[in-house]
Formats: sequence, structure tokens, C-alpha cells
Amino acid sequence: MNSNHHSPNRSCCNQLEMIRALDFAIQETVLYLDAYPHHEEALRYYHSLIAQRESAIAAYEQQCGPLTMYGNRSTTSWDWVKAPWPWESDAN
Amino acid sequence: MWTYDKKLQYPVKIKNPNPQMASIIISQLGGPDGELAAAMRYLNQRYAMPYGEVTGILTDVGTEELAHLEMVAAILYQLTRNISEEKIADSPFAPYFTDHTTGIYPVSAAGVPTDMKYIGVKGDVIADLNEDLAAEQKARVTYDNLIRLCDDPDVRDPLRYLREREIVHYQRFGDALRIAQDHLDSRNFYAFNPSFDK
Repeated sequence: MNSNHHSPNRSCCNQLEMIRALDFAIQETVLYLDAYPHHEEALRYYHSLIAQRESAIAAYEQQCGPLTMYGNRSTTSWDWVKAPWPWESDAN
Repeated sequence: MWTYDKKLQYPVKIKNPNPQMASIIISQLGGPDGELAAAMRYLNQRYAMPYGEVTGILTDVGTEELAHLEMVAAILYQLTRNISEEKIADSPFAPYFTDHTTGIYPVSAAGVPTDMKYIGVKGDVIADLNEDLAAEQKARVTYDNLIRLCDDPDVRDPLRYLREREIVHYQRFGDALRIAQDHLDSRNFYAFNPSFDK
């Protein structure tokens, strides 16, 4: 993968926005399931979101860099330390 | 344990620096009803919780509060980028700047460093969940007040998101209290403390 630098391009921003939206839906579903653990429809919804998240994360990390310390996909470059960090305007 | 996600939970993209706004929004970092106090309250209360649903809610809400702590810090960081010394000198941000430059240090709007006296851990499921319900409402009111004092849409947008989360957490803590009470003696919720009396 191209890993010399990860300038945040539009594609990466759009992908990150999609992951944020999925993670928000997962967060809400998880809090709901904590309180209603026997709700079958919520559990199905949770699994459909998790499946979407896995493919979205894989695509993002290949192109844009790691989202967690487990996601440095490059074998030749340590991308985890590369800017932008989340609090910087460019990352959002 | 926890794993860091290298992203904000919700975007923060502020065009115009504003040290005056930073000096009051910082209360949601280190103030009495701020996100740091919230995370410490819920994550530390977990160990005295006898019911899985309640432990789960405290774990997941407490973890989300850490994400909110980072969002508030991002707001403060972006509000204090590239500001002139003159602009700082004329603003309420000057006392904070004197001690911390533009580093992020958890204090209240009045400049008081964060304090674990802000939180309660009573080791009793009913007492702790009522503390949590009140805490979410107090945090919601603080966001209401900040939104009243802020006219920049770039700042209002993430503040409104954070305010909304307080309301959702309040709902889930309401569920948690109902679940806990369902496990207790309905004629006397206080007959025993399920995390201590066996």
C-alpha cells in the first residue's frame, strides 16, 4: 500500500464519515441492548452494523491509515504516528 | 482494558479561534459536571454493580464519556490555535494562558482544577444510579448554558451533539434503575444492598 504519507483526501474523509455514522448506530444499539438484552430485532440490527463496519474499516485502513493500534496494514511503514490526529481540523 | 480509536466520535471543525469561548467550554473538560468527572463516576461505580445490564450500561456510557472528553479537548484546541498575544491579553483566557499556555488542562470555567469530589461512588445500586441520572441532567444544563453563550455555528454543532448524548444517557440510566429495582424487593427497595449484603 501507499504508506509514505497519509494526506487526508476527500475519499478518506468520506470513508471516515461513513465509519463514524456506523459507529454511532452501533453505540446506540449497544446501549439499548445493554438495557434490553433479549430484544431480537436490536440484536439482528447490531450484527448487520458490525458486518458493514468490518468491511468499511478494512477499506479505510488500506487506503488512509490505521484506526487502532491493531490496524497498521503496511508492512514497511509505521503509519500510526502520522498526522492528522483526531483533534486537528484536517482530520474532520 | 481500552483501545484507542484514532478518530473523534463526532467531527469538530472550527474555522475561527475564540479564546473567550474556550475559557468557558473548558468546564465540560474539568468542571463539576464535565466529561472527565462523568467517565470517572461511571467507570468506578461498575465494581459495586450486581446486575449485568447495569454493569454494561456503566461500562459503555463511561467509555463514551472518554470520547466526549476528547471532543471537548478538540474544541478547546481548535479555539486556541493561531491566536495573537494581544487577543489573549484582552480575553478571559489570559489567566489560564499564564499557567498552561495553550495546553489542555482540566479546570472548570471558574479556573478550579478538576476534583474527584465532584463525583459520588456510594457502593449502592440505587444511590449510584440516582447520582448518575442527576449527573446527566446537570451536564445537559451546562451544555444548554454554553449553547446560549455561543453564536458560532462551528462550535454550537458539536455542543448540541454532546447535549443530545446527555439525554440519551439519562434514558439508559433510567432503564438501569428500573432493572435494578425489578431485582429488589418491590415492597422495600432498601431492605438490603445487593452489592454488599448476601
